[in-house]
Amino acid sequence: MNDTMIETKGLTKSFGRLKVFENINVKVKKGEVLVIIGPSGSGKSTFLRCLNHLEVPDSGTVVIEGEILDTRNKNHIRRVVEKMGMVFQNFNLFPHMTVLQNVMEAPITVKREKRDVVMERAKNLLDKVGLSDKLNEYPSKLSGGQKQRVAIARALCMEPDIMLFDEPTSALDPELVGEVLNVMKNLAKEGMTMIVVTHEMGFAKEVADKVIFMDGGRIVEEGTPEQIFLNPKESRTRTFLEKVI
Amino acid sequence: MDIGTLKSIIPVLLLGSAITIQLTLISITFGVIIGIIIAMVKISSSRIISSIGNFYTWIFRGTPLLLQLFVLYYGLPAIGIRLSSFQAAIIGLSLNSGAYMAEIIRSGILAIDKGQTEAARALGFTYFQTMKRIILPQATRIVIPPIGNEINAMIKDTSLVSAITMEELMRKASLLVSASGDPLGPYFVAACLYLFMTTFFTSLFSYAEKKLSIY
Repeated sequence: MNDTMIETKGLTKSFGRLKVFENINVKVKKGEVLVIIGPSGSGKSTFLRCLNHLEVPDSGTVVIEGEILDTRNKNHIRRVVEKMGMVFQNFNLFPHMTVLQNVMEAPITVKREKRDVVMERAKNLLDKVGLSDKLNEYPSKLSGGQKQRVAIARALCMEPDIMLFDEPTSALDPELVGEVLNVMKNLAKEGMTMIVVTHEMGFAKEVADKVIFMDGGRIVEEGTPEQIFLNPKESRTRTFLEKVI
Repeated sequence: MDIGTLKSIIPVLLLGSAITIQLTLISITFGVIIGIIIAMVKISSSRIISSIGNFYTWIFRGTPLLLQLFVLYYGLPAIGIRLSSFQAAIIGLSLNSGAYMAEIIRSGILAIDKGQTEAARALGFTYFQTMKRIILPQATRIVIPPIGNEINAMIKDTSLVSAITMEELMRKASLLVSASGDPLGPYFVAACLYLFMTTFFTSLFSYAEKKLSIY
């Protein structure tokens, strides 16, 4: 039984002449949490965005639950991308919709699900992220931490198999980081497969099953959090960790 | 100008105003529809498709509306297409305002943060679902004030269709001037009616602007 949820083979991406990353091979099993760390510009966000086709890789393949992402077939891409929820650094909530509408929108528009079924699920999810008192607020009335929790609920309402987090706490005031990380920790505990690009080393240590250190468009080192944080093999990893911790 | 003549010209000019409003509303409606389509065409990533949109706005913004109306009404019969003055007026005004609307709507769409499209795509939205549910509703709020201006301009531009024998407010006034020999009264009343119409639509749009500012 193959329990690989998502896998990349030789993934390569450049913007014009700038090589963002080259030949990245990653494998994440069901229920695993992969945390990608590394300095800015190391290609980790772009890598994450290639997984759900927000960026088109130049070469290499992305395999989701055994299915190769066919970059030329739009319908196929949409169907596969639906299995992945994404949380952005800048939340990207829909400002013209209330919190509840934000969470309900995609299942109704994309999956054509029944309104009352989605409503029930959306309310449960918003309760889970601690925002059941904000259902009818517009995003502009929320704090950054609240916005990001809505964004997580919005992604979860599509019932994804994999959650992608692109620096989810980088745009937050320090005192609001914890509430978002807590939601993510609970999600990991429930067995969600997650790929998280972050600078939160504490989160990586506590939650990650596997940590990847990326620099200069390459995977410099990968291993368990213990290996990476307590006993890094590569000097570049060590230098980076000394700077951030 | 005495009360008696006023009483006789006002009904005529009111009728003209009704036609002016009719022309304005129909043309603006078609103008917005054409504008949305041309705006989408213009922002296409395909060079060939976007140049079609650019060609359209180049033609209609680069030539006088009066000339466009003359081509439709006096020119087309030469190749066997005969339009009534009403048809020519509606088509001319719609095509022309479509070009201006396209620019307004295009800038409205481009003003929406790229993150909105990305969030929608990540959730599995198609291009059209993204436009319909996410981008256009947000762009609407941005384009309401410039579209208000456009309607204002349209109310006044409809006076040009008097040149293709369409009997709207301007032409009614001119006919009254020639018939009565009074050059001031009918034009003065017509000016008041134009002001009334433009003021009405301006207030309507600032009201709509406020209503849409809920988020």
